[in-house]
Amino acid sequence: MKRKIGIIRALLYYRYGELFVNFFKNLGVSYLLSPKTNKEIVDLGVKHSSSEVCLPLKVAVGHLLYLKNKVNYLFLPQVVYPYEKLYPCPKMLGLKTIALAFYPKKKLISFKIKGNIFFPLFLTGLKLKKDPFRVILAYLRIKRKKERKEISFDNKHLKVAIISHFYNLYDEAIGSVVLETFKKEGFVVYLKEDLEKEILRKKDGFSKKIKWAFERELYNAFKYYLERVDGFCFFYSFACGPDSLIGEMMEREAKEKGVPFLKIVFDEHTGREGIVTRIEAFCEMIKQKKNL
Amino acid sequence: MKAAFPFIGYDSLALKDFLTLLGAEVCLPPLTKKTLELGVKYSPEMVCLPFKITLGNFIEALENGVDTLFMAAGARKCRFGYYHYLQEKILKELGYHFRFYPVSQYSPYEFFFEKMPQIFNVSPLKVLRAFYFMVKKSKTCENFKNCLRVIRAIDYKESIRFEKKYLKKIEAAKKIKALNILNKELKTKRKKFLKEGEIKLKIGLVGEIYFLLEDFANQEIEKELGKLGVLVLSKRSLYRRLKHLLKIEIDFLKIYYYAKKYLPLSPGGEAMNTVGEAIEFAKNGVDGVIHIFPFTCMPENIVLHSLEKISEEYNLPILSLSFDEHTSKTGLLTRIEAFLELLKRRKRNGICLYRH
Repeated sequence: MKRKIGIIRALLYYRYGELFVNFFKNLGVSYLLSPKTNKEIVDLGVKHSSSEVCLPLKVAVGHLLYLKNKVNYLFLPQVVYPYEKLYPCPKMLGLKTIALAFYPKKKLISFKIKGNIFFPLFLTGLKLKKDPFRVILAYLRIKRKKERKEISFDNKHLKVAIISHFYNLYDEAIGSVVLETFKKEGFVVYLKEDLEKEILRKKDGFSKKIKWAFERELYNAFKYYLERVDGFCFFYSFACGPDSLIGEMMEREAKEKGVPFLKIVFDEHTGREGIVTRIEAFCEMIKQKKNL
Repeated sequence: MKAAFPFIGYDSLALKDFLTLLGAEVCLPPLTKKTLELGVKYSPEMVCLPFKITLGNFIEALENGVDTLFMAAGARKCRFGYYHYLQEKILKELGYHFRFYPVSQYSPYEFFFEKMPQIFNVSPLKVLRAFYFMVKKSKTCENFKNCLRVIRAIDYKESIRFEKKYLKKIEAAKKIKALNILNKELKTKRKKFLKEGEIKLKIGLVGEIYFLLEDFANQEIEKELGKLGVLVLSKRSLYRRLKHLLKIEIDFLKIYYYAKKYLPLSPGGEAMNTVGEAIEFAKNGVDGVIHIFPFTCMPENIVLHSLEKISEEYNLPILSLSFDEHTSKTGLLTRIEAFLELLKRRKRNGICLYRH
């Protein structure tokens, strides 16, 4: 029997996804990656999850359900802490709890990520192929991209920094509209992912006190860009807990410095056009401010 | 020093005594609709309800001439630990002058030997003594609440008289001896009522701790249930919380063991307690469980999925209610009444409940 393993294209996929896919390819396990988020998946997720959680989680539930009868195993690593004993969002911690509602326990392969990606992958590999040597080889052969485009700030173009989580921005059903619209308006877009690790994991001032790993990265990115860009766009989902507090802190700090700060909230009912109109108005405002 | 802290149900009496023993004057404005309005006006829209209520509470306290504020802190997975950063900022922007002391829940050593002695300029021994008294008083408060619940379910009119009388007594008790006498009195009273009266329905209350302790936040759900002749059971109180923080709560191990099966990783807050208590209630044979939490609460929303499974496996009806500033009492009552009707019918038809 061929073992098929399912990977959901949601939440952590946008951070570790290529690594996972590469690993399974090297190991010679057939895997099934759920398709890009479409309306069917969103509807599935909205139908089967609590009405008060954020859209990315609902989308993740949709992906879980999409793979339900198509795979033998579901690969769902649990992040306990990505690094330095910092917590992810509570909803990510609870993803396995939600998955247990749809999948029997045997079908889930979910090892804990505790600051290190090797052990969960090693244990997963051992479960699928009983050969430790092969698993380690597969892990070592993972191609890691080390290209990082150098960021530069010039005064010719207008610059905007988009502060948002990776699972919001890179999911085409959710966030790609923000990136596209800013580019269409002629802005140079700066993202959290463009920055070096050292800047993102810095510990000083308020960022030291934030114990949510991804939130600390957002805040550090915000701090770094604060004196370098013309405007901020904070893009977060309705009912996102961490963002509701940290976003408010950022908005207050941006106000003190006099930097324009646009807050966009989205949920499954948000229309594309609404977001585009708001961003266009925001861009117009920055342009006027610069001309004066 | 005129100090204030967020009002938290009957257990505020214990916290109040702790601060008075250390030499502060405590001012506790009661929670009203105006408190909520003030809080909602100045807080970010997406934040959960406890933030709004406590902020409103602080504003009213500052209007009454308070100069020192205490707030529980301790940043972990839940949003609650981060409240005080933003609240301090908002209050400073509003132009108030005050000292703000966030008290971390997770570092008892710092609390006893560094923070409190420094703030009040007293010896650590005095802090420990005051803390011991607070623990004792919170135990009395717990007994009082348990007794009140039984009386409410059996004789509602009597319970109003009882509440007034004993609240005064508890507030006046300044010695541990007096508290011990009160404890005995309350226990015998509870037993007497349980023997004489008949209880129609038993309901377990689980959820987020602020909502379980503070009657204003949960729209007085316990009172309403008592009016309808339901005995409310709840395992959450300041006394247990303090014991848990000092790591001497043995009961929690059992709850944790129960919850582990349904919640492989704790999503923070009091999610483990909620799940474990729901299972314990099911095993003790309650008729139903009501789960209350603030709107968009992160840990409790994850819990919803586990509760669904528990409801199936233990054949236990569970009603989940989320609260925000727009929740109306009438809507809440209708839902509770419908739920109780369902429980009564189950009982009449003799649907067998899970017994261990």
